[in-house]
Amino acid sequence: MKMRTTLILTAILAAATLQAAETTKLSATQGSKIRIEGTSNIHDWRVESKLIGGSLEVGPNFPLKPGQAVEPGKVEVKGEAFIPVRSLKSLEKDGRPYSDKMDEIMYEKLNTPRIYYRVTSLTLKEAAKSASDPYLFDSEGELAVNGVTNKVSMPVKVTPLPDSKWKIAGETAVKMTDFKIDPPAPAIALGMIKTGNDVKLLFEWMVKPAPDAAK
Amino acid sequence: MNQNDSKTADFNRRDFLKSGSLASIMTLLGGVELMAQSSPAETAVAGPKVKVGVIGLGGWGREILSTLAHLPEAEVAVICDTYPAFIRRASNNAPGAAQTGDYKTILENHEIKAVIVATPTHQHKDIVLAAIQAGKHVYCEAPMAGSLEDARAIAAAAKANQHLVFQVGLQYRSDPQRHFLLPFIRSGAIGRPTFGRAQWHRKQSWRATSPNPEREKEMNWRLDKSLSLGLVGEMGVHPIDQASWYFNTLPVAASGFGAIRFWSDGRDVPDTVQAIIEFPKGLNLVYDATLANSFDAEYETLYGSDAAVMMRENKAWMFKEVDSPLLGWEVYAAKETFHKETGIVLRAGASKSVDADQPQTAEQKLTSTPLASSLTNFLRNSADVTAAAEDFVASFGADDRAALLEHLAGVARRPSAGYLEGLISAVTVIKANEAVLAGKRIEIQPELYELA
Repeated sequence: MKMRTTLILTAILAAATLQAAETTKLSATQGSKIRIEGTSNIHDWRVESKLIGGSLEVGPNFPLKPGQAVEPGKVEVKGEAFIPVRSLKSLEKDGRPYSDKMDEIMYEKLNTPRIYYRVTSLTLKEAAKSASDPYLFDSEGELAVNGVTNKVSMPVKVTPLPDSKWKIAGETAVKMTDFKIDPPAPAIALGMIKTGNDVKLLFEWMVKPAPDAAK
Repeated sequence: MNQNDSKTADFNRRDFLKSGSLASIMTLLGGVELMAQSSPAETAVAGPKVKVGVIGLGGWGREILSTLAHLPEAEVAVICDTYPAFIRRASNNAPGAAQTGDYKTILENHEIKAVIVATPTHQHKDIVLAAIQAGKHVYCEAPMAGSLEDARAIAAAAKANQHLVFQVGLQYRSDPQRHFLLPFIRSGAIGRPTFGRAQWHRKQSWRATSPNPEREKEMNWRLDKSLSLGLVGEMGVHPIDQASWYFNTLPVAASGFGAIRFWSDGRDVPDTVQAIIEFPKGLNLVYDATLANSFDAEYETLYGSDAAVMMRENKAWMFKEVDSPLLGWEVYAAKETFHKETGIVLRAGASKSVDADQPQTAEQKLTSTPLASSLTNFLRNSADVTAAAEDFVASFGADDRAALLEHLAGVARRPSAGYLEGLISAVTVIKANEAVLAGKRIEIQPELYELA
């Protein structure tokens, strides 16, 4: 009886160890970029941040090394990314800060300390053609802004880098009104500025092995 | 240190000048007004509040408090002075603030993110170094230090801790009006710069009354040449720094003269000084200051081969030579006449509420000064850097300190004087004061401006 119990426990532990070995925990690291682009009746605008926090846990069919052979199909995934809203700054085309006033309007409209994205599904469509090429995925997830959460689908490119980092890049278009945000029409310049409803989110999220996973 | 100690007398004279004769005289003399377009970026927006401690509550410390009371970004959490009477006087402008006689209690308070150091100049070093060590953003009044050793120690500490905001109270460096003028000076609108002139004239003793001899000595440190940089240091540091900024070069020598011409009350610091600050290629700034006569108060003028630009408070005028090229825009610019000259008015933020034709409200007077701009930029930079540090740690953790410092060094800062401007201006006025006291010319070795 005692021997049988020991065998069962050993089997459970072995299974758990196998499970742990099959998932990879990743966490955010420096080098990320997020840009939100929009339009107005005066000129196009953009805001940017270099901060994308969060973590990701991926299953066995996720490419861990540049050029690694993996089979197309669904990849087990769990993860969440966030952008500190106050780190978003409006910029001129040459990268100089554009306007404190516009930043304040943006913060007020976003109405949250962080923009959250939770990934719910990841499907590998096409493996990398070479060690420097990205793997092409389709992703599904939920984007939360202004207390409103919407489903978002977009293709993403995952590039394992030689220095044990991954670049996850993508872009998607959303409408402000889908998040119950009225496109800003700031009361400056005689109230003549009106922003468009459509905005584009472009990101490059850098992740590395999570500190606890690396131990 | 303060730029305007005798506020009452000065206020009346300036009001008189503003309301009538100054504008009329300026128009008669012939200047042209340059009005800056109000860019989106300069539209006033209040930033987040920053909990700040103010250390040193003499006349200028109280002026700082009075300005902070009108700035939406300022939350004065604590005020500090070793003299209880100064704390009582200051408390009107900081009604909710805690009070202390020991600055170290402020540095131990993790809620307070920033400190403003407005103590006597010779006390800056110990407080600033301790504040930086405690992780506070620091605003250090100008001049940054009273000795070369202190100036270098402060600059080195600030340089080594660029994840913190360190700002020197060289207010013109944050003043939108001065920034508005910079391209005119640098782009050659005045032709070849020939020299500059600046003055600070007051009828006041510079002596504070005190209850006992010990306190008298402490309060009147500016009258003791072993502690004070005198008029050329305490007042001249602002126009001298401005000349260096506008000319885009560093002083190479200083000559000076000084005497006690009126206030023979036992002081050993001259009440009247003249100094010439030499820049390369024969470009000089002539500076004079006195405590014995208030005529024409304070202003700075830069002279070039095509025009002169005179700066007073938040206004300036350009006086063109008859043979200077037509710039185009000046045809449409506002003009004012000074005696026999016509000046083109150069004024930033012309579309904002600070309108030369309208008397300013008391609120506008406090929030449109170079001091207000300087403090606002300090508070906003402090808030931005604090937020950036918090967001970075929340996003990536705190393990990689080098990456955090690199990230914070890249946070865009609003215009202000940093440790290098503080060091350069302190070195210059220390040498200029030596020249004034010795009545001779002193060369300034370029290596004094450099940090290892």
